[in-house]
Amino acid sequence: MSDTVVWSSIYVLAFLVGGLTIGVASMVLAWLLAPKRTRMVYQKTLRSIECGVAPIGPARIRFGVVYYLYALIFVAFSVDVLFLFPVALVYNEKSGWLDFAEVLLFVGILALVIVYAWKKGIFSWKSKLKSPQA
Amino acid sequence: MEKQVEVPPGLIHFAMLDDVLNMARANSLWPMTFGLACCAIEMMATGASRFDMARFGCEVFRPSPRQSDLMIVCGTISKKMAPAVMTLYDQMPEPKWVLAMGNCAISGGPFKFPGQYGIVEGVDQLFPVDVYVPGCPPRPEALIEGILKLEEKLRGKRCFPTVEAQ
Repeated sequence: MSDTVVWSSIYVLAFLVGGLTIGVASMVLAWLLAPKRTRMVYQKTLRSIECGVAPIGPARIRFGVVYYLYALIFVAFSVDVLFLFPVALVYNEKSGWLDFAEVLLFVGILALVIVYAWKKGIFSWKSKLKSPQA
Repeated sequence: MEKQVEVPPGLIHFAMLDDVLNMARANSLWPMTFGLACCAIEMMATGASRFDMARFGCEVFRPSPRQSDLMIVCGTISKKMAPAVMTLYDQMPEPKWVLAMGNCAISGGPFKFPGQYGIVEGVDQLFPVDVYVPGCPPRPEALIEGILKLEEKLRGKRCFPTVEAQ
């Protein structure tokens, strides 16, 4: 091994040890110096909500998906529009009835997706949830 | 004024380091964003540009008790609100200080009468208080003076001049 490689390795090792020392030392210092407890009058130090008021119900509740489905359809169609941009770019160059038919086919199949979502009742704003949080 | 800091100690502590830490604490108190009644309006005025608490290093109002070390109890503590106030006090980590602002927080103020059933008669009935600032409501200058008194309590001496009444 050449001298350079050895010295570089030593540098890397030194920086590694130094970094670890600083990281661990700050934790140990905080552990040594920090007050070990806090004065309590109501035994609520460990309550996770920090507004003082008792939480109502658990955090793991079910949300209505009504808007979620609507938004999903929107995302799907905005990505489809991305596919139409290159078409719009080259359409004026040279195009015939065949190209028109292809684009029409593509958009037509997309339109079927709208019909499908429509049939599924996504566009009617009705909660599909039967729980009290709905 | 005697220096009196009731901080539960860590595993080790050094007198000199404590002095330095207390100087830092006294000059960068982080109050909690927490108002109970009309005194809170005066507290907001104290934080705003005309009176400017930032000159004394304690303008960083924290939205969480876990980040703050000064609780300014500004307003009437109704019995319904008392559990919330006590919870917030519990959730503040050490070192923590409490400043009772206004007559309601000190003793119940104008709402204290024989047979009253709605309010807690002074925040010191709930937990220890470090500084009392009287007034109904106290002016922002009074709150600043209270905070300087707290600084005096932390450091054992006062950096800012005292204003004499005229």
